[in-house]
Amino acid sequence: MSELTEQRRFVTPEPDEDWPALAERALPGEPSAEAIEKLRGWNLHLFVRNPPGVLLGSDVIFVEAPRVVTGRYEGLGS
Amino acid sequence: MLDILIRNGRIVDGTGLPAFHGDIGIQGGRLARVGGQLTGPARHEIDACGQVVAPGFIDPHTHFDAQLMWDAQARPALEHGVTTVVNGNCSLSLAPLRAEHRPKLVSMFQQIEEMPDAAFDGAFAWEWESFADYVAALRGRVALNVAPLAGHSPLRMWVMGGAEAQKRAATPDEIRAMQDLLRDCLEAGAVGLSTSYVDMDENLFPVPSRFAHFEEIDALAAVLGEYGRMLQVVPEFYNTDITLARVDQLAELSLRHGIPTTFSPLFDSAVMPENVSRVLDRVGEQFQRGARVWPQVQTRPIDISFNLEVASLFFIALPAWYLTLRMPRDRKLAALGDPGTRQGLIDAAEPGGDTQRFAHLRVRDSRDASLIGRNLGEIAKERSTTPAAALIDLSLDEDLGVHFLSANMGHEDPSRIGPLIANDLVHVGASDAGAHIQSFATYGDTGYLFSEFVRKGHHLSLEHAVRKITGETAQIWGIPDRGLLRSGMAADVVVFDPETIARGDERPAHDMPENGMRYVREARGVDTVIVNGELTWSAKGGYTDARPGVVANA
Repeated sequence: MSELTEQRRFVTPEPDEDWPALAERALPGEPSAEAIEKLRGWNLHLFVRNPPGVLLGSDVIFVEAPRVVTGRYEGLGS
Repeated sequence: MLDILIRNGRIVDGTGLPAFHGDIGIQGGRLARVGGQLTGPARHEIDACGQVVAPGFIDPHTHFDAQLMWDAQARPALEHGVTTVVNGNCSLSLAPLRAEHRPKLVSMFQQIEEMPDAAFDGAFAWEWESFADYVAALRGRVALNVAPLAGHSPLRMWVMGGAEAQKRAATPDEIRAMQDLLRDCLEAGAVGLSTSYVDMDENLFPVPSRFAHFEEIDALAAVLGEYGRMLQVVPEFYNTDITLARVDQLAELSLRHGIPTTFSPLFDSAVMPENVSRVLDRVGEQFQRGARVWPQVQTRPIDISFNLEVASLFFIALPAWYLTLRMPRDRKLAALGDPGTRQGLIDAAEPGGDTQRFAHLRVRDSRDASLIGRNLGEIAKERSTTPAAALIDLSLDEDLGVHFLSANMGHEDPSRIGPLIANDLVHVGASDAGAHIQSFATYGDTGYLFSEFVRKGHHLSLEHAVRKITGETAQIWGIPDRGLLRSGMAADVVVFDPETIARGDERPAHDMPENGMRYVREARGVDTVIVNGELTWSAKGGYTDARPGVVANA
């Protein structure tokens, strides 16, 4: 089976998980407030919804900053 | 005796192999002979000299759910050569659904797919709850074939109740109940399951499917795996990183359960120029691993037409406008005429005096012919006002009857879209046919494929283009017995002129129930459409009374 290139890491919420619990799982060892603040910064898409920051079961939650990447596919024209 | 004999055609059989000349014989709803010279006799003969004879087109992303109940032909899709439609996309289907949940589902359809009340309310007798009864209701009623998806949102509502489905994770017992219910749907003929990660209901609250944790979708995918059926999702297409995460999730489900998956839409736009490239990189890697994650790409550029009668998709990023346009008509007219509200809307659209947002809008229909085709920027300048003010004033002048066009909002560069849709990893689809009917015409993407990317851009050969919307679609979806011209297969056939097939001009039409308005495009260059061996439409005779459509997997 072919290897995958590394992508921006993410997790999905566990049932009944809130931001503190998710922060502890995703960023173990970091102080809770700082970990939550990091997650907030990496997941602004969840904070522009109403109510801001509410977690849905299907959400994608990034646990690291965006990577600087460009597409390699060259099939498109100009 | 043959039922239909198509003579002298240029046969493009849906495999992608080179075209060849010959006749086609149809008998008992099936292709009796493909190729060679047939002597007949036949009850009906069609001279296809100079024309292409191809398998009927398959549209894998439609929302004809309600329309099929009052319009057997899904007009005008059928006359474009579409003989099979996949409906129930984006987590929304008319079954399985308890009667008490119908108002909620209708409200979601209205919000997400911009379907008017009249498309549901009194337009048809809603007599089913189970998927099997829904399939039974389609039998003998439709002129084209239907490959229905079961929607994840109604599935949740059935098991958890309407309120709980939009509130929390499902319990293990509820997940097992959903698995059983999905199994019933697949047994009855569902082609798969659809879910959505982006859609919102009439209160702008996430739809039920978005409350499902991965364990739930994994459990449902396991049931799909028992039947080898499709999982369709709507990802967060406006964000590349999230789309890539969805590609990886789908790939895991595909590998774990041995199912095909598809996500739609995948757009190209100047706002996210790396989007397509990055997503296709990842899709390619996942295919290399053996996963099946098909990105659906539409052929047409993104154009939005609207008038202020409805809260168009065009205003979704302008809450002040969107909420005003959602008001009942009398209140809306009063609000637009109120100086304070009017100025608030103008300020919202033109913050800091930046008038660019509406300047490009063109007047497409007006009682004042001198306005048609002109953009709001120049009209506003002439009137010493701003484009947003001109939009309101022109609309009020004609009792909201003026139509505007926002053209080329994305996905519009043929030099990029042509190679994209020719890519082997790309599934041509995402037409959204039957939805957003008051924002743009979702019909004719197949004609546009030939006119823009075969004849004009030469990005695909004729055979390749036909394969992309026939044999390949049937293969990706596991739709049996269709998509190819091969002896013994179902006789879904379209005859068209390869030099003229195209989509017609977009125009408003008042052909919905209760005289409701939608945008449509008629077919160009299509001669004959045959479904299961019966003539359903011809350029000479128009639509027939035949209702030969079947549920494709039932």
